Amino acid sequence: MRGELTELWRYRELLWSFVIRELRIRYKNSVLGFFWSVLNPLVTVLVMTLVFEYVMGQRVPNYSAYILAAYLPYMFFQLAVLDSAQSVLSQISLLKKIYFPREILPIGSVLANFIHFLLAMSVFFAYLLVIWLLHPGDNPFRATVIYLPFIVLLQLALTLGAALFISALNTFYEDVKYLVSVMLYLLLFLCPIMYFSEQVRYASGIPAEYRGTVYFLYHLNPVAMLMTAYRKVMLDPQNVPLPGKGGLAESLPLDWTLMAICAAVCISVMFAGYAFFNKKKWQFVERP
Amino acid sequence: MTEPAIQVRGLCKEFRLVHTGYASFKGALLWWKKRNTETLKALNDVSLDVMPGECVAVIGRNGAGISTLLSILARVYKPTSGGLKISGRVAPLLELGAGFHPDLTGIENVFFNGVILGLTRKQVSERMESIINFSEIGHYIDAPVRTYSSGMLLRLGFSVAVHVDASVLLVDEALAVGDLEFQRKCMERIRGFQSEGGSILFVSHDMAAVRSAASRAIWLKDGAVQMVGETDQVVSAYEKFSAQ
Repeated sequence: MRGELTELWRYRELLWSFVIRELRIRYKNSVLGFFWSVLNPLVTVLVMTLVFEYVMGQRVPNYSAYILAAYLPYMFFQLAVLDSAQSVLSQISLLKKIYFPREILPIGSVLANFIHFLLAMSVFFAYLLVIWLLHPGDNPFRATVIYLPFIVLLQLALTLGAALFISALNTFYEDVKYLVSVMLYLLLFLCPIMYFSEQVRYASGIPAEYRGTVYFLYHLNPVAMLMTAYRKVMLDPQNVPLPGKGGLAESLPLDWTLMAICAAVCISVMFAGYAFFNKKKWQFVERP
Repeated sequence: MTEPAIQVRGLCKEFRLVHTGYASFKGALLWWKKRNTETLKALNDVSLDVMPGECVAVIGRNGAGISTLLSILARVYKPTSGGLKISGRVAPLLELGAGFHPDLTGIENVFFNGVILGLTRKQVSERMESIINFSEIGHYIDAPVRTYSSGMLLRLGFSVAVHVDASVLLVDEALAVGDLEFQRKCMERIRGFQSEGGSILFVSHDMAAVRSAASRAIWLKDGAVQMVGETDQVVSAYEKFSAQ
């Protein structure tokens, strides 16, 4: 793997060119450009907020901020994985002409989406600032926001690993991308995006003695754990209403044991994905 | 004695062929149906040397393994067995700008292609003017490449390839699309490239072009070297064989 990494480093300029090209192509013929990629999550979150607050009656102050804090990272994961799944196949004619480290294609797709994610996050911070100006209260940024870069890097590692693995697999079996898009859709419900992780911990549908175990198992999913972490480090702890029996659940602190497991999973996925990709990459052009 | 620019020893390449089209889970699930695959030996024990400053033509019928040989030299395929040693950078002449993206402008594509061929972005921008001048694209360089004619694509692709300081140029019968004036210019450039010590591996089915450009020729037949030697002798033998 060390040799592969040196080779990748030697081609870093090409990787960067791929990222620039991907960003350019996306907005080449659209007038509003980057605005579209911010508009999509904003509208989605607006609709979600309206539905949850007014139809389902979940009164949580500043609800849309909690949705955005998890939905933006989820969008990054989803789009990066779906884009990279196609990245090798769509460039197969180029691959058949010339050598360059093949991993540049999926990594480039991930990085292009990562840049979008960072821009969307800065829009999110601007949004928090506006909310604070309109309803001055506590400081909108918590001190724990200093952990944010680590969480972002962990998610980047996880996304890279998943992208490398899936793009290699999808090159041979095109069913993979359909399977992945179904799984990503289900992931939206299995992560604390439209609800709070506390609502899992105190869910009335689960017998009380199992709730701790379910909460633990639920967060073994690294994406779910990352979404919980994003909220905990960026936003104020929030007592959330419990559906069904009523009442409020107290906010839980960030569980560092679970976070450590999540970090280990993210980094292992990255290296395993890269190893798998390297094992397969010479067969891409020869796929039967 | 100088080292050869390209040194190929006992090169073999096998491909697995499947007759049922696309690969999918179906292929993995229906494993007992794998009897449908067969192995194709595209290259069989090929050895050759190309010295610096030499232009060698590779001739042969379609399916003789010529493209496979060039692809292995461009490091697209890994050889099944045998070894190759290339000193310096290889620039495959991407036919009709294979790396071009239709929605990007000429300049953006030149950047991308130059970097793929091993330049840094800074080097590309230093050479941009020279690349544009050589390609004769003029002010269309700011237009999306999808609006280019095939001749323009070829000229731009060729222009990038000769500006990357390669020591080995792989030319795959692409020049035929350019007009006479441009072909002459390319030949001139190729001679200049040769006199600076660059090597060229040249593939063409135009025997007149082979005779005028190459000093030596290799005739591949069914993946094996049939004959190597002076261009005139090899081409004559090949023409005689083809006429039968």
